[in-house]
Amino acid sequence: MKKKLLLLTFIVSAFGLSLKAQDTVKTTGDAPLVLNGSVDTYFKSDFSGHGNIPTSFANENSSISIGMIDLGLKKSVGNASFVGELSFGPRSDQSIPTAGYHIQNLYVSYNLTSKFNLTAGYMSTFIGYEVISPAANFNYSTSYLFTNGPFQNAGFKATYTFSDKVSLMAGIFNDGWNVYQSVGGRVNTFGAQLMVVPVKNWTVYLNVAAGPQSGTEFDVTTNYQITSAFKLGLNYADFSAPSGTTGGFSGVAIYPQIAVSKAVTLGLRGEIFSTKTGTWATTAGPAPGDKVSGITFTANVKAGPFTFIPEIRFDNNSAKTMFTDGGGAATSSASQFVLAAVYAF
Amino acid sequence: MKSLITALVFITLVKVGFAQQELLSFDEHNKYIYYQVMDMPGFPADTLHNRGICFLKTVVPKVKLKQTVAAGETSISGAGKLITYTGIGIMRHECGEITYLFNIEIKDQKYRYWLTGFTFTPYKRDRYDNQVPEPGVEIPLEAASTKLDKRDITSYLNQTGAFCKEFGDKLKLYMVNAPKKDESIKKIVTDKW
Repeated sequence: MKKKLLLLTFIVSAFGLSLKAQDTVKTTGDAPLVLNGSVDTYFKSDFSGHGNIPTSFANENSSISIGMIDLGLKKSVGNASFVGELSFGPRSDQSIPTAGYHIQNLYVSYNLTSKFNLTAGYMSTFIGYEVISPAANFNYSTSYLFTNGPFQNAGFKATYTFSDKVSLMAGIFNDGWNVYQSVGGRVNTFGAQLMVVPVKNWTVYLNVAAGPQSGTEFDVTTNYQITSAFKLGLNYADFSAPSGTTGGFSGVAIYPQIAVSKAVTLGLRGEIFSTKTGTWATTAGPAPGDKVSGITFTANVKAGPFTFIPEIRFDNNSAKTMFTDGGGAATSSASQFVLAAVYAF
Repeated sequence: MKSLITALVFITLVKVGFAQQELLSFDEHNKYIYYQVMDMPGFPADTLHNRGICFLKTVVPKVKLKQTVAAGETSISGAGKLITYTGIGIMRHECGEITYLFNIEIKDQKYRYWLTGFTFTPYKRDRYDNQVPEPGVEIPLEAASTKLDKRDITSYLNQTGAFCKEFGDKLKLYMVNAPKKDESIKKIVTDKW
C-alpha cells in the first residue's frame, strides 16, 4: 500500500513539475522536437444520391468516412531546421503521388541571415489559397482551383525578407508537380512568390510556377482581415498547358468569413472556374471551353481541439456535361452536404 | 516513510500551487500589469541605468528603446513579445504570441518596472506545417473572455505571469552584478618552454 502511495505521489509530483514547465517561457535556446498534427472524419450526402462534385477529398457519398491522420515532426537548432509531415488515409492517398510514401512535407531549412533563408526538399506548394491539411483549411470540400493546381513542389528555394511588408521567394523545382523525383530527369520548373503587405492586416501573394513539363500558372492569393471579426480572401489563377498541349484553365474564388462568436465562424466560398479551349483536359472540372461555378456555405464550430465543419455546397454547370441527377440524366446543378470533425493537436 | 510521503505531497502541492499563482494585477486603467519596486541601497542611478540598458540589449536586442532623462530620474521603455505554448512534452508547441509594453524607471538606490498592454495573437498552421500569427487578430488579455476559452486564458495569464517574473528576476541579476568584461583567452605558446 505504502509503495503504491509513494508511486502515486511521485507521479503527481512529476505532473506538478510538468505544469510548472508549461508556465516557463523560454527567451533563448533551441526549440525542442515538436510533434503536431490532425485527424479528420466526415459524413457527406450528395442530394442526387451519388457523388457528383469532382473536387478533391470528401468523395465518399452517404458514408461516414475518414480523411487522414496527419503527423508533423519538426526541430530547430540554431539557424537550421527541418519539417517532416506524414499522412495516412484516403485524403492522404488523393494528395500525394506515390502510394506508400505518405509524405506531405519533408524539407530542411537554413537561415543564412535573419533575412535570408534557404529551403530544400518536398514542400506544399506556394500556389493557391487552399491547402491539403483539413486543420489549415476553412472549408472542408475544396475548390476547382485547388484541385487543378499543384499540391506540392519538390525543389530548392531562397527567400529574402526585405521587411515585414515585403519578401521575395525564388526557386527551382522538379519538372513535374506533386512528384518526389523529377519525371524526365530535369529540375526545370521555375517558381517565385512576391509577398506584399499593402496595409496592415492585408497580405498579397503574387505567385508563378512555370516549366515545360508542368505548364505555367500565375496565381494571386490575398487575405485581408478587415476587422477583428471579418476576413476577406481571394484567389485568382490562370494556367497555360505545358508544351505539346493547348488550353489550360482560369478561375477566381472569393472567401468572406465572419466570426459571430468566440466559437463560431461563418464563411462562404464563391468560385467561377473555366477551362480554356484546347487539348488540355481535366477530370476535376468542365470540358475544354466550358465553365463551372460553385457556392459553398461553411461554418467552423470550435470546441477545444475539435473543429466541427457543417457545409452545404451548390455547383452549376450550364453545359450539363459534369453532373447527373438522381435518375442518371445530365443536369446543370449538383449539391451536397458535408459534416466534418477535425481534431488538431 | 510517513515523513517522506508527507514531504513529497507538500512539494507537489507547492509546485501545483505555483503553476496556478496569479502574478498579474490590474492597474488604474483596468489593464493587466506586472509591477515591482526594487530597493538598491548603495547603487547610484547612472549605474542602474547602464545595467538596465545592458539587460535590455541582451534580453530583447531587437527592440527599439526609448529613453528619457529628467532630474534625478531616468526611464527606459519599449515593446516586446513572448511566445505562448500549448500541450506538454513532445506535443508542446507554439500557439500564439503576446505583445507587451515595458517601462523601467530609475532613481538613486532604487528602480521600478512594469509590464503591461498584453495583447494576444493566435497562431495557425500554415501550408508548410509551421505555426504562424493570424494577421489582424489582436486580443487584449483583459478582453479575452469574449474571444477565447477560459482554460486558454488561464494558461496565457500563467505564462505571461511566469514570463514577467523571469523578466524581473533577470533584470535584478543585471542590476546587482556588474556586466562581465570579455576576458581574453590565455593561449599556450608551444615554441617556448
